Amino acid sequence: MTLPAWFALFVAFALAIWVVREARRRTAHHETGRRFFRHPTAGWGIGVLAFFVIVAVVAPLVTSYDPRAQLDIVHLKNQPPSWSYILGTDVYSRDLWSRVAFGARVSLIVGALGMLVAATVGTLVGAVAGYYRHWVDAVLMRGVDVGLALPRIFVLLIAIALFGQLPLTALVLAIGLTSWFGTSRLVRAEVLSVRERDFVAAARAVGAGPGRVIFRHVLPNAAAPIIVSAALGIGNVLLLEAALSFLGIGVASPTPSWGNMIADGAPYLASAPWTTLFPGLAIALVVMALNAVGDALRDALDPRQESGA
Amino acid sequence: MTAWLVRRVAASIAIVFLVVTLTFILMDVAPGKPMLGPTERLVDPQAEAILNRQFGLDGPLDVRYVSYLRELAHGNLGLSFGLRRPVADALAEAIPNTLLLAGAALLIDFLIGLALGVYQALRVHRIPDVVLGNVTLFLYSVPTFWLGLILLLVFGEWLGWFPVAGMSDPILCPTVSSFYCAVDRLWHLALPALTLGFVGAAGTARFQRAAMLEVAGQDYIRTARAKGASERRVLLRHQLRNALLSFITLFGLAFPFLLTGAVLIETIFAWPGMGRLATDAILRRDFPVVNAAVLLASTMVVAGNLVADVLLAIADPRLRVRSGGGEPA
Amino acid sequence: MLSAMPLERRLALVLATLVLGSTACQRAGSCTGAYCGTLVIGAVGEPDILLPPSTQEGVSRDIDEQLFLKLADIGLSTNTIGDEDFQPLLAERWEWDGPLTLVFHLDPRARWQDGQPVTASDVAFTFDAYTDSLVASPYRAALRRVASVTARDPQTAVFRFREKYPEMFYDAVYHMRVLPAHLLRGTPRDQWRTAPFGRQPVGDGPYRFVSWKAGQSLELVADSTFFLGRPAIRRLIWRFTPDLMVATTQLVADQADGRDQLVTPDNIGRAAAAPQLTIYPYRGATYGYMGFNLAANGDTTQPHPIFGDRDVRRALTMAVDRASLLKSVFGDYAKVPPGPVSQLWWIWDPEMRQLPYDTTRAKWTLSSHGWRDSDKDGIRDRDGQPLAFHLLVSSVSTIRKTYARLIQEQLRQVGVQVEIDEVDNSVVSERLAAGKFDAVMLAWQTDPTPSSGVPQVWTRGGFGRSNYLRYDNPAFDALVDKATSAATRAQARVAWRGAIETVNADAPAIFLFATDNVAAFHKRVADVRIRPDSWAALVRTWRIPPDRLIDRDRVEP
Repeated sequence: MTLPAWFALFVAFALAIWVVREARRRTAHHETGRRFFRHPTAGWGIGVLAFFVIVAVVAPLVTSYDPRAQLDIVHLKNQPPSWSYILGTDVYSRDLWSRVAFGARVSLIVGALGMLVAATVGTLVGAVAGYYRHWVDAVLMRGVDVGLALPRIFVLLIAIALFGQLPLTALVLAIGLTSWFGTSRLVRAEVLSVRERDFVAAARAVGAGPGRVIFRHVLPNAAAPIIVSAALGIGNVLLLEAALSFLGIGVASPTPSWGNMIADGAPYLASAPWTTLFPGLAIALVVMALNAVGDALRDALDPRQESGA
Repeated sequence: MTAWLVRRVAASIAIVFLVVTLTFILMDVAPGKPMLGPTERLVDPQAEAILNRQFGLDGPLDVRYVSYLRELAHGNLGLSFGLRRPVADALAEAIPNTLLLAGAALLIDFLIGLALGVYQALRVHRIPDVVLGNVTLFLYSVPTFWLGLILLLVFGEWLGWFPVAGMSDPILCPTVSSFYCAVDRLWHLALPALTLGFVGAAGTARFQRAAMLEVAGQDYIRTARAKGASERRVLLRHQLRNALLSFITLFGLAFPFLLTGAVLIETIFAWPGMGRLATDAILRRDFPVVNAAVLLASTMVVAGNLVADVLLAIADPRLRVRSGGGEPA
Repeated sequence: MLSAMPLERRLALVLATLVLGSTACQRAGSCTGAYCGTLVIGAVGEPDILLPPSTQEGVSRDIDEQLFLKLADIGLSTNTIGDEDFQPLLAERWEWDGPLTLVFHLDPRARWQDGQPVTASDVAFTFDAYTDSLVASPYRAALRRVASVTARDPQTAVFRFREKYPEMFYDAVYHMRVLPAHLLRGTPRDQWRTAPFGRQPVGDGPYRFVSWKAGQSLELVADSTFFLGRPAIRRLIWRFTPDLMVATTQLVADQADGRDQLVTPDNIGRAAAAPQLTIYPYRGATYGYMGFNLAANGDTTQPHPIFGDRDVRRALTMAVDRASLLKSVFGDYAKVPPGPVSQLWWIWDPEMRQLPYDTTRAKWTLSSHGWRDSDKDGIRDRDGQPLAFHLLVSSVSTIRKTYARLIQEQLRQVGVQVEIDEVDNSVVSERLAAGKFDAVMLAWQTDPTPSSGVPQVWTRGGFGRSNYLRYDNPAFDALVDKATSAATRAQARVAWRGAIETVNADAPAIFLFATDNVAAFHKRVADVRIRPDSWAALVRTWRIPPDRLIDRDRVEP
């Protein structure tokens, strides 16, 4: 790797550490913030996430090669890590570190957007079901049961096999639309418990319409579990994208995504294990960080739940 | 209670029916013809017409759907195009294999998960808790199939401690004819079951730790402590019993897994189970197998939910009171 | 007394008993001598059905090779012309009764495994089944020049041909494996594809079927009364794995004894490094190419807007460095083919005229045909259309997927944009049949002779069948006709050379690789002879010498 890229990488590290410090400092006087950082892994989680996001954003600066460039298909294929190629090269003689860095873009975006779709749809469905109850609730929840009854990987396999290779947006939608069922149950439970409270009755007495009541009064109080489940859910979406790419449906080559990098490297596991190891480690690190942050958020936002703090 | 049960069962059957119909329509709309021949070599058009007729692929969608339902009512699951044999035979061979793997994985999951969770709660915030907490966090976050590949590489290829693929040794032990062969089966089962089991155990441990710590702070525990009961007794009698309730829910969620199997793990370890069967069938557009697999899977899911709900209602009287005509939330 | 021991001692005792018990209960192996031996073969994929006319799958063919006999088979030289190099099997001798009539005399010792003798009516029944449209055998087209097969008496089968050509004998014997009429007559022809006989076959070959555990393994045992000589290796066991890397790992870890194809240089290196294995390279029967759809995507009446132009095709072919691609994917274990030719064919001749690798000429040709990069985006365009196309690849083949990615990059460097459609076989099948593709990565595993492969894939006669690219050159078709009916080998060679050079010049495809197969077998196996067209054909002559037996060889079946 070239000198400017090394320099940029160190700056990225430093920036991530600075982000954690700043976050800690800024929230020190907030009860929620203090509870959040009391978790031993919370700071670490924020740092890892920050690092990967920074790398994804400035990917061209921290890498020296085009992630799609096949550098020398005869001599540079499946090379182990070295000073020029810090994570090695893959079977098409592409630099692995470049692909991990640019792959962060794809994987993180698919994860975030997929979760956004799932959270939005799930929240809407759950809120409507919880607020209106009776037959609306029954019908919607039966629909959720149907969705949960189909094993997720099958549904996605079938749906994606339908259209061959999906463009990125369609993939995000497909993942999102099959991941919202749990969120809707969660939101419904929250809405059911909040709707009986006084301030909601007051709002209704004043004549507020259902939409207003839901969005301005009910949901903000139900926000905490939604946020927590979203943070934890991005991890699941990332893992799902990896699994789909491994099966050959998912993000298409040559666009690098951590999932299809594992798929590319799997046939050469015995002779070039680094091609499978590093993308998998990247996924593991990001999902770990997301889980750590999610756990800490859960404790911070919900004072009723004590988890031994 | 009975009225509620009857309604739930009816709803469950309706759900399964809906799911199967949806799958039938989806498979029909999918591009790609069923693989009636090997690789890409095309079948003669005349032969194709004969094959279509033989497998019941000609005719409009509604006709085929009705005849499918009729066959299903008679217990006939049809003929698989790709496997060249009745679907029921293929399923009958694959299901026990998946049961074995999933059963072993769930066993490891629950036993190790519970033990770890309890141990962590007992040593909360001390070094064992912190170390185990990070280990479980890692195992919970890795892609399962990637972990499987790495374990295969390290323990199968580099160290040679476990076999690389398959369920059994075809040379010495085609059937479980001796104790040695039973051990051989376990040896083949070890890597895939441990992969799945450890990842599951990590999740269970995290969940159990949190559940036990939550219960620890509640009033009746404090009362028991105040009364002078020893720490250990308090823990074992009250916390454990309450934490175990949550297992019922977990079991209900894990039940369908017993039959759908873990698709990717089965592929990596060459385990001839339901997951692999169904995935290959989807990719090959082997409609009868796909429909049968989805039918089975969705039945397991709704059955699992139902059983979990019933068990919860029996075990926790508070839920029963709350239901009263509605359903346990 | 037991209960008096402390807990730890009790546990230790139980554990010790279990361990000792487990070793003691191992199946004792007691076989000694020259006829023991278990060969465990690692296979990728699984047979579909073991009924010979209904399958083309490699693994099924390897197994059928042990179960069912042909009338005669080609020798190690793989010469398909005339009948001198053929080895008698079911037929002990034959003679020509006129230019179009071939008479086989069956070996009276041949028996089906249920005791019935093999008769000429079995041969006639077999021909009837192979050519029956209800059975829809893939071999039907290969038998089109055989007019009839009749049984003159129980030991004599008569073949009548429609015309005289050099490979009559080959067509008569190579494609068909003789089937037991008395066991299959009762099965309706249109149900042969799912017949239970296909999962529990009864044959007349050197090995007998024992068991098949779906998705796991299949076992055959030697027939000690086989009339051509008792096979030395007593048991053959196929272990099925879903992919090549796992199969190779199994082989290297000594959980399998051999594999017929290691395919990638990685696997070959691993096998070569394993101390217990010996590797056996042999000529491969496969050639692969990237084919251009000469008709429009989805409309066979129109020429393709890009690939309809011969010069553009030639330019694209010249832009690809086939030698480097080969080196990257196969290392030293394949060769760049001189056309649509596999290494198995006798017409293989690296001196045949082909297009060179010349990016300068390629770029110049593209530019002079109007494909220039007018908007400076790196991709050439003409009249607002970019020089871009979709490449259809089956997701099953690692080799072809790798080639697709490498070609994508090479063509990008001359300003051509390639998008890869990696889909599963069922979709590939469908799109090829409907002509809905721009370019496709294909590979063919060929018969020992070009006479069946080339016409089916590259002449007009292949339209609607295997000629997916719709390549149609009457001059080429005429040369192929001349080659397949030439009276002498020398004449055939000249005609074939002309034909291959014609197709090279027209560039309907970029011919990328012709494989060298590398097999690996345990070093204890002796007399390993591999016939390049079917590696398993001579397994019955392999043996494991008595002084080299290991544990798994001694187990009684």
